[in-house]
Amino acid sequence: MGKIGKSAKDVLKNKVLLFMVLPGTLWFLFFSYLPMVGTVIAFKEYRFSRDGFWASIINSKWVGWDNFKFLFSTNDAYLITRNTLLYNIAFIVLGLILSVLLAVVLSEIANKKLAKLYQTGMFLPYFLSWVVVGYFAFSFLSSERGLLNAMFGSNISWYSESKYWPFIIIFVFLWKAVGYNSVVYLAAIMGIDKSLYEAAMIDGASKFQQIRGITLPMLKPIITIMTLLAIGKIFYADFGLFYQVPRDSGTLYSVTNVIDTYVYRGLKTTGEIGMSTAAGLYQSVVGFVLVLTSNYIVRKFDKDSALF
Amino acid sequence: MSKKKKHFSLLLTTLLTVSLALSACGGDSKNNAGGEAASGGNKAAESTEKPVELIWYTIGPPQKDMDKVLTEVNKYTLEKINATLDIKMLDFGDYTQKMQVMAASGEPMDILFTSSWAFDYVQNARKGAFLQLDDLLKNQGKGIVDTIDPAFLEGSKVDGHNYAIPANKELPAQEVFRFNKELLDKYKLDLTSVKTMADLEPLLKTIKENEPGVTPYAMVKDFMPIMPFDYVIEKMPMAVYMDTKDYKVINILETPEIKEALKTVRKFYQAGYISPEVATTSSVDDLYKAGKWFTDRASTQPMADNLWSVSYGYPVVSTPASQPYIYNWSVMGSMQAISANSEYPEKAMEFLNLLNTDPVLRNMIDSGIEGVHYEKISDNMIKNLPDAKNYDMPTFSLGNIMINYLNEGDPENKWEEFKKFNDAGINAPLLGFNFDTSKVTNEIAAVQNVKEEFWAPLMTGSVDSEEYLTKANEKLKAAGLDKIIAEAQSQIDAWKAANNK
Repeated sequence: MGKIGKSAKDVLKNKVLLFMVLPGTLWFLFFSYLPMVGTVIAFKEYRFSRDGFWASIINSKWVGWDNFKFLFSTNDAYLITRNTLLYNIAFIVLGLILSVLLAVVLSEIANKKLAKLYQTGMFLPYFLSWVVVGYFAFSFLSSERGLLNAMFGSNISWYSESKYWPFIIIFVFLWKAVGYNSVVYLAAIMGIDKSLYEAAMIDGASKFQQIRGITLPMLKPIITIMTLLAIGKIFYADFGLFYQVPRDSGTLYSVTNVIDTYVYRGLKTTGEIGMSTAAGLYQSVVGFVLVLTSNYIVRKFDKDSALF
Repeated sequence: MSKKKKHFSLLLTTLLTVSLALSACGGDSKNNAGGEAASGGNKAAESTEKPVELIWYTIGPPQKDMDKVLTEVNKYTLEKINATLDIKMLDFGDYTQKMQVMAASGEPMDILFTSSWAFDYVQNARKGAFLQLDDLLKNQGKGIVDTIDPAFLEGSKVDGHNYAIPANKELPAQEVFRFNKELLDKYKLDLTSVKTMADLEPLLKTIKENEPGVTPYAMVKDFMPIMPFDYVIEKMPMAVYMDTKDYKVINILETPEIKEALKTVRKFYQAGYISPEVATTSSVDDLYKAGKWFTDRASTQPMADNLWSVSYGYPVVSTPASQPYIYNWSVMGSMQAISANSEYPEKAMEFLNLLNTDPVLRNMIDSGIEGVHYEKISDNMIKNLPDAKNYDMPTFSLGNIMINYLNEGDPENKWEEFKKFNDAGINAPLLGFNFDTSKVTNEIAAVQNVKEEFWAPLMTGSVDSEEYLTKANEKLKAAGLDKIIAEAQSQIDAWKAANNK
């Protein structure tokens, strides 16, 4: 009883703060925690029941690990895992370097109005859907009417030459994502105490020395957190990027097929919900383990930067 | 966060979850009670029965004037069967995915569209998405049984039972080569010698040489040359020969027929008769709109040339490219099922019965309100009014098309021609056989991926067929195609024995 009374007092004391986290909490509850109950479908052969969703789950037959088999049963299993991992590693590393670089450059632009303009310009692609981005790319890469072939007088059939696509995919991803991420870092830079820079200037530190000695170390915690969060998603691939941008071209599959597109293509005819749930669960569990591991490693070296 | 706060948030979480779960259950039991009350009410006197509302999901773009038309429709159905309708339209591109989610999550619905090409009928019937209709057909659906071609009900049985009402329309599928008549006339090209794809070559050559802005052969990535196979699953490489006697299932990518067919397509591709980007092109509507195409292939129905000419705004003619065959997928081209969770299955069947037999209701749902969306120019012929664009439903999806009014310009004997066309259909060997994939789902997922990788490039001639056929067959084998073929073979053998084929 005393405990509850104390909790109630705590609530009262922090009511404003609690109220502020309420929308976020609800969002997580509804869209992350509640659906977790559904992972049980991964171990069932899902069949419809006329008494609704819960009855369907309960009445469906248990099948153990059968639903997971299709992910590992063929030679493609290696290919899609490799593609998913390598692309995500490239996205994390290059995305980090470019976003931080951009944020630093933006923060150093003296004309604040221009800086805002550049920032908005780079931010915009983030809001485009992949379908639209796919058409942008097509206007450059179409072999008949594409800008690239017209500019260089080449006759490359872009959508059937897989060797170019690792670069195209990474480029398109960075073009879309870097602007958004750099805003996060820019905000962190803005929060750095200006007196540090003033002191450095009095000591005669050059711009470059200031960046290396002040900006980057101050950004380290947020860089670590952003990277840890990205690692959690390392087994997920952006479906739109890998499906819409290469226009689902079969000849490119060796470099564009990732876990998400594989699952979609494999299950679109049979529509087995159990198997797609199994794929999702597998991705989440691997991501979860990776986050725990990398967080553990970070904590070994630098306790303050770790997520938890 | 302190420990206590953690405890508290845990408590909060639990509370919320429990209350949510409770409210969900509460909702369910209330619905069930309603259902029971209603079915109990059926037994009571008709006059005191409360009217029911049927929820109907069907395919096609949402219509601006739906509410207006529904008001009229509901007045009519209320009087006839004491039920009203709530029609929900899902667009062609979304239908399958949205319905999969809604059926899986138990969304309330009574009637829903299903077919071989959108929200797959056989698969979902086996998963339990639809109510089995055998008894309902005998009782509330007598009119349907009497009206529509018996081949439809017979051909759409899954494991011996009916799960949906097929639309009474063209039964076989026949492929034709279509031609842009303006170009045909301009170069005085002759169609009498065109029987196969290879015969098109001299015509395509003329167009390629003289009309630089025109795509001689309008083709999309789904293209497949005509080959003498009946497929176990559409667009998957397992099939039997059309003239098969022993029903041996084969991999079509290993047959001499496909090598021959792909040689022609490849030749056309290299000669520039087909767009170089065909393997990633999903629509050539722009070519049709601008009239910048010479020929393509399409499935036909009686009077189809008129239909195409009206829709494109310039004359289109066609010549047969295949025999009219009755396939599983052509029989199941458009159907309405009753949802497994329907609260009013009897009413739903009564409604479907009325829809398929009553010209007033059928035409109202199809063409809208007289004087607003259309006007009558004779007893059974109508003309669209400008407002028709606010209510333009896909006719084929809504049930029996042979009780529809004729459109302006249609010949008087249109439906007679349909019947003739249906009678001329030849049964494909696997008609009536439905593959049960549940034992080979893993293999199908893997084979599907390999197929997606090679199919479009191969079939459209975008790659060298010799080299890619070998590669594709290696990968298909590794993915488990042989196991699927063996499973299909044993099911077909059992089906054959049971049906004395």
